[in-house]
Amino acid sequence: MDTQLNVQDLISVGIFTAFYYLVFFIAAMFGFIPILFVLMPLYLPIIAGIPFMLFLTKVKKFWMVTIMSIIVGTLFFATGHTWISLVVAVVCGLFADTIFKAGQYKSFGHSVIGYCVFSLWLLGGMLPLWIMRDSYFTYIRDMMGDEYTNAIISMTPTWMLLIMIIMCVIGSIIGAYLGKSVLKKHFKRAGIL
Amino acid sequence: MQNVGVKQYFKLDPRTKLLLMFFINVTIFNVSNRYVIVVMTAIPIFLLLVSRKIKASLCWILIYTILMAVNIHFVPTTNGFQSVLLAAINMFFRMMPGFIMGYYLISTTTVSEFLAAMEKIRVPQSIRIPMAVMFRFFPTISEESKAISSAMQMRGITFASRRTLKNPMVMIEYRMIPLLMSIVKIGEELSAASLTRGLGNSVKRTNICKIGFHLQDMVLLLLASITFIGFFIY
Repeated sequence: MDTQLNVQDLISVGIFTAFYYLVFFIAAMFGFIPILFVLMPLYLPIIAGIPFMLFLTKVKKFWMVTIMSIIVGTLFFATGHTWISLVVAVVCGLFADTIFKAGQYKSFGHSVIGYCVFSLWLLGGMLPLWIMRDSYFTYIRDMMGDEYTNAIISMTPTWMLLIMIIMCVIGSIIGAYLGKSVLKKHFKRAGIL
Repeated sequence: MQNVGVKQYFKLDPRTKLLLMFFINVTIFNVSNRYVIVVMTAIPIFLLLVSRKIKASLCWILIYTILMAVNIHFVPTTNGFQSVLLAAINMFFRMMPGFIMGYYLISTTTVSEFLAAMEKIRVPQSIRIPMAVMFRFFPTISEESKAISSAMQMRGITFASRRTLKNPMVMIEYRMIPLLMSIVKIGEELSAASLTRGLGNSVKRTNICKIGFHLQDMVLLLLASITFIGFFIY
């Protein structure tokens, strides 16, 4: 198998990245409803599972997921998120690629695990709340006073991050299975695979 | 980003915009002084004003003022569940300078300018091509999506119809899958078309866009780096 990405592959990567980003964008719009904002790591990987599983059947070469995550991370950065989310995205993409590669881009088990790892990049946007905890809370304390700051600190303990990660993993597993069933039901029949 | 060349009176190099973005991004998440943040918001709004995007900049000023008022007056007096909601507002408020800068970056840069800049900073082809394809595809996807949406309306599948409320998965199955299929097909055609036009060639490609650093870039970058270094020493 040719392991170098050729132009067709790069174009496919571009198309699926566009689709993935739009799905993400629309889903994030619903995130303005505060409850859904917290649930976003859960429902987003479910919706994005279908295009991602289709993407995996299309290219099947190392770097493809990494390029996708670099672009998504750059777009995230260019629209005003922290550079942390870019770094997280690239690291997640690279790990996911390694896992997919280990499964030869065929094994479904590897796809599920890889998709979970890839989806973790979503948390990059919220990570400053935990990583830059000190500077973030100094800022809030300056502005809002002690009582409010303590309330926020008690509401976002470190285990909250753990819950986010677990939600993300569960969402990805559901999304991967959904994607697999949809591929079987629709795309194989239509001859797209 | 737009494709059509809009005449601009005040033009910055895309690389300058990206660098300013970086400065603002790093500053708003490391400095906790309220006045610094306001200055950081003023930079992109000023840039929007001088590039004659007056309506947009007024909108941003309004949004920013409202958020700031909510932040100063309501947030310290709440507790319990309300403050969870307001924490989201606070987070949003804090990221605001970045959002405005992002809006400026995207609304005033054309796709080919952006690609020319990417080539100048030696971003490899394997990232440039997908990016170009992606920007080209956003309008295509929304067109296709509109067509599918109107077709599905005839069958009674909209956001608020009884059928979708009963089973939200219908929405994904009837809207997303046809869209994915048509997008994949269009993509195949696009790659055939661009291969015949020599995209796979290994020769260095030329670009019609002229970008470069001018006086305004120098001034802005100088100011930005001075303030940036100043904040960190201070």
